[in-house]
Amino acid sequence: MVNYIRYTSEVATDWKQTAADVKKDYPHCFRRTLDCSTSSQLQSKLWVITSLLNLSFDIESPRVALVGGWYANYIVPLLIDELNASLVHNFEIDEDAKDISYKYNKRYKELGKYQCYIKDVMMKTVEEDYDIVINTSCEHMFPMTGFYEQSPKIDAVYVLQSTDDEQYVDHINCVGSPEELAEQAHIIDILYSGTKVLNNGMNRFMVIGYPA
Amino acid sequence: MKNTILCVKWGDKYDRTYVEKLKEQVETNCSIPVNFYCLTDNPTESYDVQLPTNWDQYYLKDRNFFWAYRKCYMFNLCDDKKVFPKIKGSRFLFLDLDVIIHQELKYFFELPMDKPYIVRGWWNDIRNVKKNFAKYKSTVLNSSVIRWDRGQLKPIWNQINNRAAVIFFTYPSLDNYLNHHWYNIWREDEGFFRGFPKGDIYSWYKGNIFPDDMELNKQRLDHKICLFNNSSDNEGNNDDEIKELW
Repeated sequence: MVNYIRYTSEVATDWKQTAADVKKDYPHCFRRTLDCSTSSQLQSKLWVITSLLNLSFDIESPRVALVGGWYANYIVPLLIDELNASLVHNFEIDEDAKDISYKYNKRYKELGKYQCYIKDVMMKTVEEDYDIVINTSCEHMFPMTGFYEQSPKIDAVYVLQSTDDEQYVDHINCVGSPEELAEQAHIIDILYSGTKVLNNGMNRFMVIGYPA
Repeated sequence: MKNTILCVKWGDKYDRTYVEKLKEQVETNCSIPVNFYCLTDNPTESYDVQLPTNWDQYYLKDRNFFWAYRKCYMFNLCDDKKVFPKIKGSRFLFLDLDVIIHQELKYFFELPMDKPYIVRGWWNDIRNVKKNFAKYKSTVLNSSVIRWDRGQLKPIWNQINNRAAVIFFTYPSLDNYLNHHWYNIWREDEGFFRGFPKGDIYSWYKGNIFPDDMELNKQRLDHKICLFNNSSDNEGNNDDEIKELW
């Protein structure tokens, strides 16, 4: 079980500089950098990594795609440091998110292990193949069937998270259970399915598996 | 005639008076010859053109209240003679029904057309627009006035036609969709659309230019067009205000 992020001196350097840069150059994003740093955000990402480690994949250094990975401040270090991911590609629509994700993950970007692309993957094709596709924000977008339609050649295990919390206007695609999430995303070969109540009180659902 | 002005009337949110008033404003404020057409679900006049219905199947009643998708059918105007055969012209200016025209419309047909134009709401705080971009809120664009040449908006029609289910599900309004896929709020010179310049078009309910000229409910007669559109719950409920300015 993974309970924490390795807070090394390199991490401290990147995160401190991110805070300084956001204050100076992206003040409109300051509130969002707080939102991405909550204990609930960390809980949900630790859950992803722990669950993947428990599945004991054969893949030694997986190539990982993040769908709408936002600032990717927690998930990228967890994937690289704990799951030994060889690379992580984050597909985002928000250019500020791209810039800020590079600040949080500067050490990995410089090693060529982290890249962020501005691409709406529900509208455009992802050309590369990946071992793992992670979408921890399914409630913010069209069902994953839209992704498969655009990028049918990707042969990956999918890690999907969503919620039933409908209080936010940008939660445009909530589901009521992990079963509903799997059904909506056409995940038929289910390796893991579960529910977790996060520290902020939100129900979080996660499904890991292969689509039809 | 090369120059064509289009409007769209669907349903009963705006009655026929609005179309007639727009036509009258066009005749008063345009010194060059123009064609005038109204795309509508209920054609009754000689200038009316039947709206298609093929995207109705993607309309989600609960969430697409402000999705003015019927406006997008006109984006299909191209060299294919089977597409809206009645509509003549090669230079198009679309106007919402709830606009007040203050100045000469000839200006819009003389713009350089390396890119199509749309209203860039200069009354928006761009920091707010960026902050809310991924939340599908605070769009900087307003589709109440669009200027394009025949065929220029066909890529948008193609994308909507190909991905209608995704687009209608995801974006709460047409303006929000256009803002995400056909404009670039980070590098405004690089988008598919160009915004009409500051000083051309302002909003009755939202102001003119942020942060210096934001007085609401104020006429700016030196500008070309005033918009009443606000994509909110009370849109269309302030008939008296616009009618006083007609």
